[in-house]
Amino acid sequence: MQNNLEKLQEQKSLFLCLMIVGLGILVATFFGREVVKMVTDFTYIPVAGILVVLSIIISIRFRSTGNHGKAWLLFLGIAISWFIAETIWMIYEFVYHQNPFPSSADAFYLLGYPFLFLFSTQYLKPFKKLISKKMIILTSIIAISVLIPNLYMTLYNNSSESKFAITLGAIYPVADAIVLIPAMIGIVLFFRGEVNFLWTLLLIGILFEVIADTGFQFFTLDNSYYTGHPIDILFIWSYIMFSFGIYNHIQIFKKKTKISDSKNLFDNKLEN
Amino acid sequence: MNLDKEQLRKALVSLSVERALLKIGKPGYEKVVKQLSKEYNCYLPDCYEHPEYLNRVLKKIFGDSYISIVEAIKKELDVQIMEKPIEIFIRAISE
Repeated sequence: MQNNLEKLQEQKSLFLCLMIVGLGILVATFFGREVVKMVTDFTYIPVAGILVVLSIIISIRFRSTGNHGKAWLLFLGIAISWFIAETIWMIYEFVYHQNPFPSSADAFYLLGYPFLFLFSTQYLKPFKKLISKKMIILTSIIAISVLIPNLYMTLYNNSSESKFAITLGAIYPVADAIVLIPAMIGIVLFFRGEVNFLWTLLLIGILFEVIADTGFQFFTLDNSYYTGHPIDILFIWSYIMFSFGIYNHIQIFKKKTKISDSKNLFDNKLEN
Repeated sequence: MNLDKEQLRKALVSLSVERALLKIGKPGYEKVVKQLSKEYNCYLPDCYEHPEYLNRVLKKIFGDSYISIVEAIKKELDVQIMEKPIEIFIRAISE
């Protein structure tokens, strides 16, 4: 059976996308802050938009049937709220020429997290009996240890940023750590299964978010963050990871051919 | 008479598997059906005679969590689980 590492290595288009985005932003950096800001903002919009489109496709495919149908509707909620957040961020920068952090964009970024947590719990619900207390404790310990560097940085800083901005910035890694728990559980539960690839990419995507949010907090407190900062690459990469995970899921559960439909009805089998 | 009972069990097993999978989502059920047909040229009612096919397909799609689906099938089968052939079927898909 093909394992996830082999499957991940086969994803040439995934690595190509990650490389193009990463190199694009790094190269744009050499042309000045205005250029890199424009390149980054205009990368966020289609990348977040693709996630919305893929979420719509998979939601239509599952048509809210069963636990997974409901889970994908919740995922659509994540994609839409983050797409709105990215749009607001861009409007603040290019229309109002204001610093978008903190702003109303944060409300939509943060709204994505309860959706992400609810998506995970809804997806894992049919398999809840397999989730042991030990599994929850172990994943929680990992999530907390990921969170510690950020909390340390938030509590011991001499930044001129407002208390509100510092607190808001610290909420993100906390939210990341919370959604990290069901993502890790998902990987363990679906180990060796085809659906595990989605959970692998979701976990990697969330890990990118954790590092990016911690980095964002650090460079904002340091007053050195600007849109197009290399840390933004990780934010975009997490969108790409999520998108490829959903795309893989669409491929796994794509509509079957009509041929076998009637054969699975028991009456027809009796006739044969 | 025996044949009728066997056919009834076959129908019951097929329906229980379908109901358990539909609770997860219709595409999940369709995927299992498709995989059974593609890999074993087998349809859902045939799983009563070839539970090992269903076992392998569930493992392939859902990995280690296939056991939860087996539990859901057991729940759907309810009291029928006491019957020996059904018990053998359950044991085979649980392996």
